[in-house]
Amino acid sequence: MSWIPFKIGQPKKQIVPKTVERDFEREYGKLQQLEEQTKRLQKDMKKSTDADLAGVQAAMSKSAVKISLDLLSNPLCEQDQDFLNMVTALDTAMKRMDAFNQEKVNQIQKTVIEPLKKFGSVFPSLNMAVKRREQALQDYRRLQAKVEKYEEKEKTGPVLAKLYQAREELRPVREDFEAKNKQLLDEMPRFYGSRLDYFQPSFESLIRAQVVYYSEMHKIFGDLTQQLDQPGYSDEQRERENEARLSELRALSIVADD
Amino acid sequence: MADPGTDNPSSRSESPSQEGGGSEDKLLLHQRLAIRELIDTEDSYLHLLRLCASDIRSGLQQLPQGDLDILFSNINDIIQVSSRFLRGLQETASQEEEQVQLIGNLFLQFHEEFEQVYKVYCANYDQALLLVNAYRKEPELQQEIQGIIEAVVPQAGPSGLSFVLVIPLQRITKYPLLLQKILENTLPSASAYPVLQRATSALQDVNSNINEYKMRKEVASKYTKVEQLSLRERLARINTHTLSKKTTRLSHMLKQEAGLVPRTEDKEFDGLEERFQWVLLCVTELKSNMAAYLENLEAFLRFRPHECGVDIPGGPAEQYSSLARDLQHEVFMEFKQRLEGLVWQPLCSLASVLVGPQNLIKKRQDKLLDFERVEEKLLEAGTITYEEEASRHTYQALNSLLVAELPQLNQLVMQWLGQIVRTFVALQKDLADQALQKAESSMAQLPHQHISEPDFRKLLEDTLDRTSGQLHSFRESLEKALPPTTQPLLPGSERQMQALLSRYGPEKLYQVTSSINGTGTLDLTLLRGQIVALLQNKDTKGNRSRWLVDTGGHRGYVPAGKLQQYHVVPSEKEPRGQVGLLEDSGLLTPEPTQVPVSAAPAVTQVVAAYPFVARSSYEVSLQAGQHVKILEAQDKKGNPEWSLVEVNGQRGYVPSSFLATIPSPAPWGWSLPS
Repeated sequence: MSWIPFKIGQPKKQIVPKTVERDFEREYGKLQQLEEQTKRLQKDMKKSTDADLAGVQAAMSKSAVKISLDLLSNPLCEQDQDFLNMVTALDTAMKRMDAFNQEKVNQIQKTVIEPLKKFGSVFPSLNMAVKRREQALQDYRRLQAKVEKYEEKEKTGPVLAKLYQAREELRPVREDFEAKNKQLLDEMPRFYGSRLDYFQPSFESLIRAQVVYYSEMHKIFGDLTQQLDQPGYSDEQRERENEARLSELRALSIVADD
Repeated sequence: MADPGTDNPSSRSESPSQEGGGSEDKLLLHQRLAIRELIDTEDSYLHLLRLCASDIRSGLQQLPQGDLDILFSNINDIIQVSSRFLRGLQETASQEEEQVQLIGNLFLQFHEEFEQVYKVYCANYDQALLLVNAYRKEPELQQEIQGIIEAVVPQAGPSGLSFVLVIPLQRITKYPLLLQKILENTLPSASAYPVLQRATSALQDVNSNINEYKMRKEVASKYTKVEQLSLRERLARINTHTLSKKTTRLSHMLKQEAGLVPRTEDKEFDGLEERFQWVLLCVTELKSNMAAYLENLEAFLRFRPHECGVDIPGGPAEQYSSLARDLQHEVFMEFKQRLEGLVWQPLCSLASVLVGPQNLIKKRQDKLLDFERVEEKLLEAGTITYEEEASRHTYQALNSLLVAELPQLNQLVMQWLGQIVRTFVALQKDLADQALQKAESSMAQLPHQHISEPDFRKLLEDTLDRTSGQLHSFRESLEKALPPTTQPLLPGSERQMQALLSRYGPEKLYQVTSSINGTGTLDLTLLRGQIVALLQNKDTKGNRSRWLVDTGGHRGYVPAGKLQQYHVVPSEKEPRGQVGLLEDSGLLTPEPTQVPVSAAPAVTQVVAAYPFVARSSYEVSLQAGQHVKILEAQDKKGNPEWSLVEVNGQRGYVPSSFLATIPSPAPWGWSLPS
C-alpha cells in the first residue's frame, strides 16, 4: 500500500534471484550434514582406537597379559615344570597379541583418523567463507537499498550527487558478493562429491587391519593349543568334566559341603 | 569254666590223657560253638539287612528321597560285602580241620573292604539319628513308621527305626569279639592260632580306624564352615570359657614368639600348607584377573562403532559397518557366553572349594596352641583334665586329616586350574577363527582384495597424499580472501594521498574502513575512506593494535583494525565514467600545488551536496549544487571534517561531508548511465 509512509516495512527487493539462493541453501545444507557426520565418525573412530589404545579393547588386551603374568610369577612355577611350561607359553602368546593390537591401532591412526581429521579441517574454512559471503550479502543489500532510496527521490543536484556516491560504493560490494557466491556454488558440490573417493580407502584399510590382526591371533593361538596338547572337546564335554572335577574335590572331607 | 590244669599246652602235647583230651575237647567244642555262632549270626544279620534295604525302605516311601538316602546310607554296599563274606564262611564249614585257619584268612581277606564300607555308614549314622529323632517329634509320622517297622521286624520293639539302623554298627564291633571268643578257645599251638591273632587285631584296627574316620569327619564338618555371625552373636558367644581359651592361646603364642616355649614344627605339614597357600594365591589371582578381563569385554561390547553413518552408500563403508556389527553381536557375544560358562563358573567353584581347607588350617593353628599348652602341662603335672585330653585329640584329628587330604587337594586343584587355562586358550583360538572368517569374507568384497598388504599400504599412502593435497587446495581456495573492497576516496583527498604516496611509498598507505573517533589526546579522528600513511605499527607501550599514522597534516594514533592496506590502483581508464575517480587518482602525478580535480581531464568535479550557512568568518556559505574548488581537505588543525574551499570567489571552511564528487561536465539534469 503505497500511502504507508514507512518504507522500512517494505520487502527488500530481491537482489539475489530465488533460484540461486535456493541452490546455495541446498548445497550448503548437504555440507553441513556431512560436517556433522564426519565429526561423529571421527569421534567414533577415535573412541574405537582409543579403545584399542587406552580404552576397552586395550584394557582387554592388557588384562589378558596380566593373567599370564601373575600365573608366571606364582612360586608354583618353580616346583612344577609342566605348569611352568604352560604358563610361559601363554605369557608369550599374550604379549605378542598385545603388540599386534598396538600395530593395528597405529595403522588405523595413520589411515583413518588422520585423513578424517584432514577432511574435517576443511569445514571451518568453508563455514568462514559462507559467513563472509553472508556479510557481503548484507553489505550489498544495504547499499542497494541506499541507491534505491536515492533513485526514488526527486532528481535534484544534491540528490544526484549522493546517488552517484552511493552507486560508487555499491559497485565493488556487489562484485565482491557475486565473486564469493560463485566461488562457493562451484566449490561446495565438488567438495561434497569428493567424500566418496576420500573415505573409501580408509574403510578398506579398516577392514584389512582387522584381517591382519585376526590372522595373527589365529596363528598364535593355533600354535598355542597345539603346544598345550589341547583335545578338541565340545562344550558339553567340557562342562561335564568340570562337574566331575568339582565332585571329586567335594568328596574330600576337608572341603565344606554346602 | 577255668580248669587250672586243662589249658596247659605242655600236658596236651605230651599225653593224650583223658583229662587232657577232655579239656581239649571242651576247647574244641567251645570253638565249634563260637564258629557256629559267627556263621549263624552273620546269616541272620544279612537277612535283616536285606529286609531293611528292601521292605522297610519301600515301606517308608512317603519320606523324601534325600532322607531315605541319609537313613540307609550305603547299606546296599554292606549287603554286597556281607553276602560274599557269608558265602566264604559257609564254604569253610565243609573243611573241618582247617576251618579255623580258613576263617582267619577270610577275615584278613575282607577286613579292608569292611573298613571301607562300614566307615561310610558309621560316619553317616549320626545324621541318620538326627532324622529319626526329628520324625519322633511328629506323632502321626512316627506312628506310621512304627507300624511299618513292626510289620517287617517285629523284634524291633518301640525303638523301631533306630533299632533297625544301628544293626550294622553293632555287627562290625561284634566281629572282634567273636574272633576273640574263637581265639580263646583255640590252642596257642594250633597252626591257626597266629592267623586268628592277626585277624583279631586286624578287626580291632578296623574299628579304631572307623572311629578315627568318624571323628575326622565330625571335626571337618564342624570347622570347615565359618559361620556368618553378626557382631551381636559374636559377643553373645563370648563367655568365660571361650575367653579363657583365647587368652591361654594368646599367652602360649606369645611364649612361643619369645622363645620360652618350643614350637611344634611339623615339616611335613608346613610344606603342605605352603603349597596350599600358593595354590590358593594362584586361584585367587586368576579369578580376579579373569573378572577384570570379563568386565573389559563387557565394556567393549557396549560400544557401537558401526553406528556411524556417513552418507556413503555401498562400498567399503557399508562392508565395514556390517563387519563391525557381526563381530560384536555374533562373534564376541558367543565368546563371552562360553567364557562365562567354561572358565568363569569353574573358577568360582574352585575358589569356593578352597574356603573349607583355609578355615581348617586356621583352626588347626589355634588348636595347635592348645595342644602345645596341654603337652606342657602333661610334662609338668603328669595329668590332664578330660577337656584338655579332648582338645589334644581335636588337634591331632585336624592335623592328621589335613596331612592326609591336602596333597590330594593340591593336586586336584592344580589339575583343574591347568584345565581351565587350556580352555581359555581354546576359546581365544575359536574367537580368532570366527573373527578371521568374517573379516576375510568382508575383505573378499573389497576392490583391492587381491593386492598384498604391503602393496596396499603403499597404494593407500600415495592416495592419501594426493587427496590430502586436494583438501589442502580446497582449504586454501576457501580461505583466500578476495581482494578487499576499496572505499571511494573522499573528495579532495587525492592530492593528500599523492603527497603521502610520494613521501612514504605505496606500501605504507592505508585506508580507513570505518570512521574513527579519537578519544585520547594523541588519537586521531578520521573519516571512512581517508588515506593515511603508516609510521609505526605499534604505540609507545608496544601495543600492536594502535598504529601511529600520518594524515599528511597531522600525526596520531588510530586503531589498527580500522585500517586496510590501500592499493594504489594502477589505472586503466574504463569506458564508464563512474569508475574514473579511482583510476584517475593513480594517473595523477604528484603535484601538490595542483588541485587534482581541475587537473583531471574534466572527469570529476566537486559540488556542494547540501546547503550550508556559514556561522563565522572562517566559514563560507554553500548552496546545494554549487561547484566548489577544494583548496585543502582539512582545517588548520588537520581535522578532515572541514575543508577549505573556494566558491563564488570566496574562501572559507565548509563541512567535508557536505561535498560530493560528480562526473563532469555536469550541468543540471544529466542522467546517470544506468
